[in-house]
Amino acid sequence: MADLTADLGFIKLKNPVIPASGTFGYGGEFLQFFDLDLLGAFVMKGVYTDERGGNEPPRILETPSGLLNSIGLAGPGAEGLTGIIKDVASKTLTPIIVNVCGGSDDEYLEVARVLDVMKEVAMLELNISCPNVRAGGRCPAQSVTDTKRVVKLIKKNTEKPLIVKLSPNVSDISSIALSAEEAGADAISVVNTFLGLALDIEKRKPVFKNFFAGLSGPAIKPLALKIVWEVANAVSIPVIGIGGITTGRDVLEFILAGAAAIQTGTVNIVEPTGSVRIINETRELMDKLKINKLEEIRGCLEI
Amino acid sequence: MKEEECRVSANTVLQGRYYMMKLESEYISEKSEPGNFVMIAVSGSHDPLLKRPFGIFKTDPPYFYIYYEVVGRGSKLMALKKEGEQVMVVGPLGNSFPKYENENILIVGGGRGIAPLYFALEKYTGSNNISLIYGARSKDDLLFTEKLKKFPLKETAFYTDDGSGFTKGFVTSDIKQIIVRNGINVTFSCGPDKMFESLNKEIGNFNIRNFVSLEAFMGCGFGICYSCVVKGSDGKYKKVCSDGPVFRMEEIKWQT
Repeated sequence: MADLTADLGFIKLKNPVIPASGTFGYGGEFLQFFDLDLLGAFVMKGVYTDERGGNEPPRILETPSGLLNSIGLAGPGAEGLTGIIKDVASKTLTPIIVNVCGGSDDEYLEVARVLDVMKEVAMLELNISCPNVRAGGRCPAQSVTDTKRVVKLIKKNTEKPLIVKLSPNVSDISSIALSAEEAGADAISVVNTFLGLALDIEKRKPVFKNFFAGLSGPAIKPLALKIVWEVANAVSIPVIGIGGITTGRDVLEFILAGAAAIQTGTVNIVEPTGSVRIINETRELMDKLKINKLEEIRGCLEI
Repeated sequence: MKEEECRVSANTVLQGRYYMMKLESEYISEKSEPGNFVMIAVSGSHDPLLKRPFGIFKTDPPYFYIYYEVVGRGSKLMALKKEGEQVMVVGPLGNSFPKYENENILIVGGGRGIAPLYFALEKYTGSNNISLIYGARSKDDLLFTEKLKKFPLKETAFYTDDGSGFTKGFVTSDIKQIIVRNGINVTFSCGPDKMFESLNKEIGNFNIRNFVSLEAFMGCGFGICYSCVVKGSDGKYKKVCSDGPVFRMEEIKWQT
């Protein structure tokens, strides 16, 4: 049977499937569906210093094979999250990744410090790419200098491995990824959602109060796969591929494009046991294609 | 709650846009309580992507029933499901109406909102004194009136907006008198937002326990996507799917 181990260098995961931030709650919500130990790791919903209510509804809109969201990172705040982390950690051995958010450098730092001292947290994922918080979808991941500055600051102040989550809404993703690598990132996760716009023709208004929203789901898979390929070719740190993955075949495509692991997103919302199905499908497809280990195909695209 | 493939045992049009689907699941039919809902995959593909929420109308293990109105793309696809097809279902989800004994309960249904209330009537009439107010746009939208009359109810009142078939009026038209007349101390309601708004205006300040079961466009149905939120009276957002769908009326911030 195929070995699904995903090697990120600083950690070996039992398989490459990691439910993504914002699509997996705080993990505990899924215990009623399956054993979290089945996962490679999972990422908790993004957290700021303080409790946040999130954006004014409507917050989602279905699009062809996709989902536009403008949730706005509702959550309990970093201190509030510590209790939740401890509780979930007592129920699983799977590595817990926490998605770190900030409205300013100071806030990123404060959140990272709270989590840095928690033994239950295996890694941090620095969210410099959420499109739903600032006006016009602006975020640090849109600039080389902002990316470098924030990553360097957090890396200097945490002992935890640092994954940096990038935005696809840039003209040159490779330079942004390189700046994160130079600043000390241990891994890159791409992509966050694509900025999209939904309009209400009757009201002649945007559907979302925040104007732009983030597009996810199967609709973005080819776009994400292209970016993952570009980033994997640009940096030497591991890349975690994200974007519309719904099958084991999708997983192997992202690995072939150069990803060391992948994150599942919207599928967790649509199909609560989807990530487990994807793990099983990945194993079955590897067996069928006689792939013994992910390394055998990782980045081995023949062109 | 579970995610499982359920067999469609029947899917029939009752009247106009209104359908009843009978699904087979030992787990869901045995675990469901009045107010619970399920998320159903209306297509076997990625389009439409999201499952759709439906309140449970009644259970008869191993079967449970979904009463639905065809209003959009999702429910249109639901209506096309044939007997013998398998559909993915997540459930039972959400909280339920509280279980009371020996209370004078008033059930208030608007349109397809009768679904979880019918379930409540089946489960709770034996142990409580129940009265019913049920209204809809027209007689074509007011289903199950004959079936409802068979429950041992203290008082029943049916209304249509346009006066077709039944008394012209709204569920709130005579509600105050009905509450007083029957010594009501608990209400269970489900219907469109507009109905809740007028209910809140009419009886929100009564010294009785009012429970509302809200309807919302949902993403996941089990509390992880934070999409189906409503503003609470404390200013904080509440998730209809996992904090509800049943709330105390005073927990919600109403427009009026």
